Amino acid sequence: MSVPQYRKAAAFALAAGLGFSLVACSTKSSDDSGTDASGKVTITVDCQPVGAQKELLANWNADVAEFEKQNPDISIKSVSVGEQCNNPPDFTARLAGGTMTDVFYGYMTDLQQVLDSGQAADITSAVSKDTIPTWDSVDPALKEVFTDEGKLYAIPVKNYSMGLVYNKALFKKAGLDAENPPKTWAEVRSAAKKIAGLGGGVAGFSEYSAGNTGGWHFTAEIYSQGGKVLSEDGKKAAFNDAAGKQVLQNLKDMRYGDNSMGSRQLLQWGDLLTNAGAGKVGMFIGAPDATQAIVSQFQGKYEDWAMGPMPGQDGAAKGTLGGGEGYFFKKGLSEAQVKAGLKWIAYQKLTPGKGQLDYVRAKPQNYPVGLPQPLLFSNGSEAQKQELDLRKANANVDTANFKVFEDNPVAIVGEPRNAQAIYAVLDSAMSGVLTNPNANIDSLLKTAEEKVNQLQAAGS
Amino acid sequence: MTRTLISQAQLQRGRGRFLYWTVLTVVVAGFTLVFLGPLYWMVTGALKTGQEIAQTPPTLWPHDPQLQNYADAWNNLDLAKLLFNTFYYAAGAVFFQLVFDTAAAYALSKLRPVLGNVILGLMLATLMIPAMVLIVPQYVTAIDLPFIHVNLLDSPWAIWLPLVANAFNIFLLKRFFDSIPEDLIAAAQVDGASPLRTLWSIILPMSRPILGVVSIFAVTAVWKDFLWPKLVMPSPETRTLSVGIYAFSGGTPMNVVIAASVIAAIPTVIIFLIFQRNIMSGLTTGSLKG
Amino acid sequence: MAIMTAPGTATKPAPAPPRTVSKKGRKVRDNLTGHAFLLGAVFCFALFMWFPMIRGIVMSFQRTRRGETTWVGWDNYSRIIADPSFWTAWKNTFLFTALALVVGYVLPFFVAILLNELRHAKGYLRILVYLPVMLPPASALFLFKYYAYDPSEAGLFNAILKALHLPTSEWMQSPTMTIPAMVIASTWMNLGSAVLIYLASLQNIPGELYEAAELDGAGVWRRIWNVTIPQTRLILALLAMLQIVATMQLFIEPLILANGAGTQDSATSVAYLIYQHGFFQNDLNGAAALGVIMLVVLAAFSAVYVRLTTKQD
Repeated sequence: MSVPQYRKAAAFALAAGLGFSLVACSTKSSDDSGTDASGKVTITVDCQPVGAQKELLANWNADVAEFEKQNPDISIKSVSVGEQCNNPPDFTARLAGGTMTDVFYGYMTDLQQVLDSGQAADITSAVSKDTIPTWDSVDPALKEVFTDEGKLYAIPVKNYSMGLVYNKALFKKAGLDAENPPKTWAEVRSAAKKIAGLGGGVAGFSEYSAGNTGGWHFTAEIYSQGGKVLSEDGKKAAFNDAAGKQVLQNLKDMRYGDNSMGSRQLLQWGDLLTNAGAGKVGMFIGAPDATQAIVSQFQGKYEDWAMGPMPGQDGAAKGTLGGGEGYFFKKGLSEAQVKAGLKWIAYQKLTPGKGQLDYVRAKPQNYPVGLPQPLLFSNGSEAQKQELDLRKANANVDTANFKVFEDNPVAIVGEPRNAQAIYAVLDSAMSGVLTNPNANIDSLLKTAEEKVNQLQAAGS
Repeated sequence: MTRTLISQAQLQRGRGRFLYWTVLTVVVAGFTLVFLGPLYWMVTGALKTGQEIAQTPPTLWPHDPQLQNYADAWNNLDLAKLLFNTFYYAAGAVFFQLVFDTAAAYALSKLRPVLGNVILGLMLATLMIPAMVLIVPQYVTAIDLPFIHVNLLDSPWAIWLPLVANAFNIFLLKRFFDSIPEDLIAAAQVDGASPLRTLWSIILPMSRPILGVVSIFAVTAVWKDFLWPKLVMPSPETRTLSVGIYAFSGGTPMNVVIAASVIAAIPTVIIFLIFQRNIMSGLTTGSLKG
Repeated sequence: MAIMTAPGTATKPAPAPPRTVSKKGRKVRDNLTGHAFLLGAVFCFALFMWFPMIRGIVMSFQRTRRGETTWVGWDNYSRIIADPSFWTAWKNTFLFTALALVVGYVLPFFVAILLNELRHAKGYLRILVYLPVMLPPASALFLFKYYAYDPSEAGLFNAILKALHLPTSEWMQSPTMTIPAMVIASTWMNLGSAVLIYLASLQNIPGELYEAAELDGAGVWRRIWNVTIPQTRLILALLAMLQIVATMQLFIEPLILANGAGTQDSATSVAYLIYQHGFFQNDLNGAAALGVIMLVVLAAFSAVYVRLTTKQD
């Protein structure tokens, strides 16, 4: 090879290397229609259970196989995105990058963010009894949460409201009445003191203060006081009042007055549940499905856990936090893909006796049947009746453990707009009272108020 | 043995000798405690039950070893996949940095095309820009490449290409090439060798130590980086070890997280022990001299 | 600074390549070849350094909502600066950088001097020091978070302190200990690489210098001051610079050890704030503005630094 040719070859090799690299990565985004030559529709769906949740994963995979058998023209590709299907920063990154699956999981509070990103499809016209047979029975309040300016953007698949989760075994050990959980914060405090008195690093009452979960629970607790997080118009913080102060005061009293909350703080979701699974937590605020996580992910036991209603300051709670999950549809899907996605959700999430509501299959598994939630169908509907009957007939947890919770319903209040950002701010107020014996509640709330006001002003 | 701060003779006599052995014993014991101690704690801690971890005072040896924690870590976190990903990205990073950065350093050092110095200056200017400053615009670029509108998320190119833009490596390579005598190259040119051939058969064989150093830096960069892979590799199939362990820490008991950390460290420690001589001598003989 | 020299040669500016043929066409071709070799690296620099640099500045003056981008002037900057965490984050970052400079920068130098003097167990000690560098950073930090910094008496550090009858600490839960605790963890993790680099440069100090100093009656400390430090001055300066740039980007330590912000923002760093705004609060433009502010601060800092170091010469 002569000299100039060598040079050309070198230049070509470099250019080709780069060119090739770009071609190689561009192949990813090329197949968008989702329909292959044989007319088969393919959709990707996230929130497949992770490997650790062996039975849930097996159930999911069986559901996919069965669904594909019933719908030979649809192919489901499942994607697992981690133990928590929606970890806010990852979720934001996926939205910003447009790398969500075709049908993607989100919290009820995510609607605004999803709309802001411009990534969600309006599915109003696609949803009907044809695609989701039980659609008319689905609680209208849940549909409303995923509706913006009259347009529906997601299908609700789960809902919850919070109460007081407590460890019966520890209650008995501490000489407390395990059938009669505390109903006010004062009762919580005295029970926590007794449980912490057992020693061995047991926390009577445990609370979050990091990773946005602290703010989430602050919200639940201020609702129990009858307070709120944002003003009616959603533009200003509304938690710097007597109710907000009471929430922090209660925690401070337990943490430093009685030393009944354990020494480990700055907990986030998994940290608290790890401790709970190890039998080191007497009580915490949570939804019924927290017990499921304790058992299936954190090595705890069902028979230990029971639930009471959200405690109130004097008497019953004035409100509790409720929320839930749904599936959004990515913008730009073909009509066939949206239809396929709806059918899949209908099958796996909203059909009594199938998918997540297949209680016969779940009964022998290490997965609870008989929890009081979710309650996806409206009162008196046929679907609700079917589902509750099945749930009762196949219960594998002692439903009596949740009776006090069910018998004392508390008004459910939704999460504030821009929830995750607000929770991040409130974390710092929570960590303040839980880690600093000299914390000044007034100034903690004032700082948080300033931050939230600024956040809301910037966000609107 | 060359003379260092304290002379050999001083260390062999009376008091000096005693002092030397005392210091040596203290250093060996202290370093073992400080650097090996936590690793021991990690390996045994991952064998303890949740209850035992919370015990006061902590136990030195697990009473009821839970090998299950290690099995769970391996299966639940899909560590094999994470390890594979990390090594795959590291191998690619080494390859692309060696090819492109060596070519660039060679051009800047020996071929010196017009505007070469301007380009070098622009490259060196990025040395002062910490990655964090550019993280947002880099991310926005990676999710939608200008003009061609390709999304690099979850593609290894999102890790490889930014790593090529490494001014420090180009600087190291260029300095090294600068020190290779010009006569050698001139001689090759007289023989009719093309620039590519000169690079391949004259420069590169002389540059083994620096190429080794650049490779070590490339591997370490992939191994240590966290936020960038966390952002550009969002799906569980493409995560690196560090990001994967972090992602699972939220919903996994801490014993299992620690067990996963132990397993994650094993392959690199083995590789390090095997190549330790080469790495140390590479860093010493070929590397940064004051 | 003589970074990297080929075996058996000294660093010197290379003489101009012989220009045997002076034909214009030849010159153009030579240039083209040169640029062809540069192409790959320049492409990557353009795509992931130069372009994002400009784009970051542009983004910091824009706002994107529901897919629509508008110019908003200094809005992003005023919003970011008005964030009550803004000044806290800078304070924390500077404190961390300063402490890390005192501990994480000076310590490896003395460890390297010590190791260089020991005639036994050399290989073993070097491997020990380098072991933490082998751990994925997340692993090393979980080790500290779960075991060492456990605030109860079941924690490793507290158990040791208690056994020695010293006061225990709540570590990451104590606003005053948060940053020192992050410095300790970060130093443990990263010490090894700095020690190796120092060791390499120590081995290039000619023994005669120590010999001469000793004959002049200089003790050990004087010899360190008069011989070791001046002889390694350039590498010391370079590592100081790299260390500062690296510690200013403090991110993974607060994220893992303190679950982000720590107790009452005591762990919030500027880098964490960028992440928080960009990926929690869905405000990439604000995050870009904060990035630009960080760039300006670092540029000012390096201008001062270059000024100081060149003055000394």
